[in-house]
Formats: sequence, structure tokens, C-alpha cells
Amino acid sequence: MSSKFNTFLQNLDRLDRRIIFLIIGLVVLFPLLVPLNLPVEPTGLTRDAFEAIHNLPDDATVLISFEYGPSTKPEIHPMAVSVLRHFFARGYKVVVMCLWPDGLFMAREALDEVLNDERFHDLVYGVDYVNLGYRPGNEAVIKGITKSFAANFTVDSKQTDISLIPLMNDIRTVADVDFIFSLSAGYPGAIEWVLYASDPLQIPVSSGNASIQVNQLLPYVKSGQMKGVIAGMPGAAEYEALMVEYGLWNTRGEAAKSMDAQSIAHLVIVLFIILGNIAYYAKRKTQKKY
Amino acid sequence: MYTDVFGAWVAVFLTLAIFSYLYKDNPFYKLAEHVYVGVSAAHWATIAFWNQVRPNLFGRLWPHADPETLTGFNVFWYKLYKGLNWISDTVFPENGIPGNQEQSFMYLIALILGIFMLMRLFPSIGWISRWSLAYVVGMAAGLRLYGYLSSDVLSQIQGTILPVWTGNLGDSINNIVLIVGVVSGLFYFFFSVEHTGVFGKISRVGIYFLMITFGASFGFAVMGRISLLIGRLKDLIQFSGREYGYATFVLLIIMVVTILMTSRKDKEVAE
Repeated sequence: MSSKFNTFLQNLDRLDRRIIFLIIGLVVLFPLLVPLNLPVEPTGLTRDAFEAIHNLPDDATVLISFEYGPSTKPEIHPMAVSVLRHFFARGYKVVVMCLWPDGLFMAREALDEVLNDERFHDLVYGVDYVNLGYRPGNEAVIKGITKSFAANFTVDSKQTDISLIPLMNDIRTVADVDFIFSLSAGYPGAIEWVLYASDPLQIPVSSGNASIQVNQLLPYVKSGQMKGVIAGMPGAAEYEALMVEYGLWNTRGEAAKSMDAQSIAHLVIVLFIILGNIAYYAKRKTQKKY
Repeated sequence: MYTDVFGAWVAVFLTLAIFSYLYKDNPFYKLAEHVYVGVSAAHWATIAFWNQVRPNLFGRLWPHADPETLTGFNVFWYKLYKGLNWISDTVFPENGIPGNQEQSFMYLIALILGIFMLMRLFPSIGWISRWSLAYVVGMAAGLRLYGYLSSDVLSQIQGTILPVWTGNLGDSINNIVLIVGVVSGLFYFFFSVEHTGVFGKISRVGIYFLMITFGASFGFAVMGRISLLIGRLKDLIQFSGREYGYATFVLLIIMVVTILMTSRKDKEVAE
């Protein structure tokens, strides 16, 4: 190894971390300004979740719970939008609830975005969908609605008495819904839905998750306790691709657009790790020499 | 429109202020950090009060009722409510909390435990809050015990009892890897026997499986962080346009200049 290259590697080891931050920032920024339109190939995990939803009976009632906030919005919000579009396109009745306070705003934003489309203009609040809003209490709320919705949600997010909402007349407990979907970024989230609602009442459940939580959920998918999982931003992009594949939507969504930046950033990080290791071994070799 | 532009400027300022920590700790970052903590706490408390405490607690103690139909204890009970109504008729509107809740005095226990929790604010009688905490801990432990035992322990054991040969090579390899991983991982966490000999070798295999798991978790964590960065950068790009008064560029220049000037000043003081 030439001494110049060896010096370069040694300097690399002492590289200011701020330069690394700057490089990562730039490689993320560039594909956002100049889209590369990299292809998105759906994986089995996302396909399982998609098909579990797609194959529900036509008159199904589904519950979607928002357990994320602005901090994980870039990852989970595109899933929320796609999954809601999927529910409405299939004609399911949708019950929205939130276990995180911020989830209420995320739910409102996602519903507004989805219902803005002319295909869904005929949907009536309270008949086709309802937003029950946020209730504090974490898993106690899930446990509570296995006994009674009305005991936990006396009013919906618009402060309307729950007994005056036609959709809720048929839904006394969570056992009356056909499918649960949790948009989860941590605790309480998808795991609590499996533990306190899905397993005890045998209601199929799936989830869209922040990347950081995916590893914890894979055992539940493998054991069949959960029907697939939408894993982070790539999962959201795959779901969008499946929506196009099944003819339910016709454009590339927000997550797919962001995947260019995600992919390039990963490449650069892998490159940094390889360079870091080469620099480490070069330094060790030099130290051994002297 | 003006509120949108103002909101964009606030969002850009707070985003850049948090990013500025990557250079070094500075007053912009500290301000954003304090605003975040304060706003989060206030936001959570407000939503919890209006969505839970008011309809589900006060609403069950004093549901909306016609004063003329009140009888017995409720006459006194709603006179008490009038006092609350006098304090705030927004929180406690006349004749009870609207909604279709049924009156239940069981919720008095929740009210009392809630008041006990607030006693933490007064150090001399703060110990009373332990009663509420004891209830919360006991309830959570009881609630979780069944859930974990059924879903995490029994279902996961069931999910691990797999055939080594399924007739499909790929599935069989998957099952073998899973079984070897679980068994060797359990060997590693068996600390009452010295990790030597065959036992030590199997537990070493367990360590490799754990390392792969941690690696996968780290990979997912990095992916999550990059996604968040993408989200922030998308907002910065959106708010850099003319309709938002070039918020990103203007604030970026102001903050970079300010931080560089203060750094130079700090250096001069240090010298």
C-alpha cells in the first residue's frame, strides 16, 4: 500500500463528524431536488398486509388506530394515506381512533387528504367512517374497548355523542370489527393491539410501523399473530406500488418519491462503514509495524 | 394565508435550530429544545383533559340533567356542580357535562386518585401520590401479565416448534436457522452454568445470532433516522419558495452568520 494512500486512510479515521453530517445531508437533499425514479419491488411482508386487507369481505368494518406523531410522520403518514385509500376503495366501514395525542392530528390530516379525492366524495361521516379521536390510557383503552366502546369513547373527535353516530350502533366492542390496523411508532402500538385485542378475541391485525420497531414485530408475523407488516418508508413505498398494481390508485406516492433519497443515503452510509473499517485496519497495521 | 406563512417560518426556524446542534451546542438549539418540551407537555395535557377527563370523568359524575328531575342526593350533588360552573362555565357548562353518559359514582375513586397524584406538587404531602401510583403499577402489572403470558410466551413458543424438514428446502432452512437461533440464544442467557466446553460453544453461536439481531435493529434505526431527515428536508424545500417569503434561505443565512459570529467571539474570549 502506498504511503500516500495510507496517510489518506489515517486522515479518514480523524475525519470531523460534521463533514459526515454535511455529506449525508447533501446526498439526501440531492435526490429530493432531482428525482431518480428508482423502481420499488413489493416484499412478502408488505404483500401479506396488503392481501389481508384486500381479501376482507365487501361489507367489512375495519378499525385503524393512529399511534404516531410528527416525529415519525415521513415514514408512517404515507402508509396511513395508502391504507385509508385502500379501505375506502374496497368500500369498508372505517373506525378511526388514536392512542397517541398527536395521532388525532395525523388522523385528521390523513382523512382530509384521502377524502379530498372525488372518488370518495360520497362517503358520509358517521355512516361510512368515524373518527373517535384520542383517549389516554395506553393498553387500558384497548382492553377497555374489548368490553365496550361506549364506556371509553362517550364522544367522537367532534364531541358528538357516540350513541348518535349510526356506524357505532353496530359496533359495541372491538370484537365487532373484522380487521385492526395499527399505524404505530412505539408504545402503545402494534404490539399492544396483538396482546390485548387480536390474540384474546382472534381478530386479524396488521400494522404499519416506524423502521425502528420492525424487528420487534417480526416474531409476531412469523408466528402468524400478525398479518404482515408495512416496514418503514420502504414498506410504505411498496404499499403504494401494490395499490397501483391492483388498479386502486394511479400515481407514485410520497413514500416512493422519498425512496430515492433513502436508497442513496444507505449506499453512502455503507460506503462510510467500509471506508471506516479499511481505515481501522490500516491504522492497526501501521501501529503493529512500529 | 398569513398564518400559513407564519407557521412555515416557525417550522423552518425550529428545524434549522435543531439541526444547528450538529455543528455545536448553541442558543438556537437550546431555545428549540425548551419550546419542544414545553409545547409537548401542554399539548398532551390539553388533549387529555378535553378528550378524557372532561367527558369520561366529569361527564360520568355530573352528566347533563334537567334540574327539575333531580332527586335525593343528586340535588346536593348538582349544587356542588354549580360551584364548579361558577369557576368555569366553559369546562363545566350549566346543568352538567353534555353527552349521553350514565351517572356513575364509581368514578369518584378515579377522581380521588387523580387528585392524590397532583399532591406530588406539594413536597410535604407528596407521599399521598404513592397510593395512585400503586394503583397504576398494580393495574398495569395485572393487565400485562395475562397479555405477555398468552401472546409473548405461549404463542411464541408455539411459533418456534417447527419441523426441520417441510418438503420445501427454503422453508426448511428458515426453520432450522430459527430453531438453532432460539436454542443457542437461550443457552447464552442461562447464567447459572459456566459458559465452557460444549455449553460455551453453543452460547457463542447464540452471541452471533444476537449480534445479527442488533445489526438488523441498528440498520432499521438508521433507516428511520434517514426517513425523518427526508421529512424535514422536504419541508425545508417546500418553505424555500417565494410564497413563503424564502423562509429557509433567509433563516439559514441569519442563523449561520449568528453562530459563526458567536463562535468567533467565544474563541476571542478563550484566547
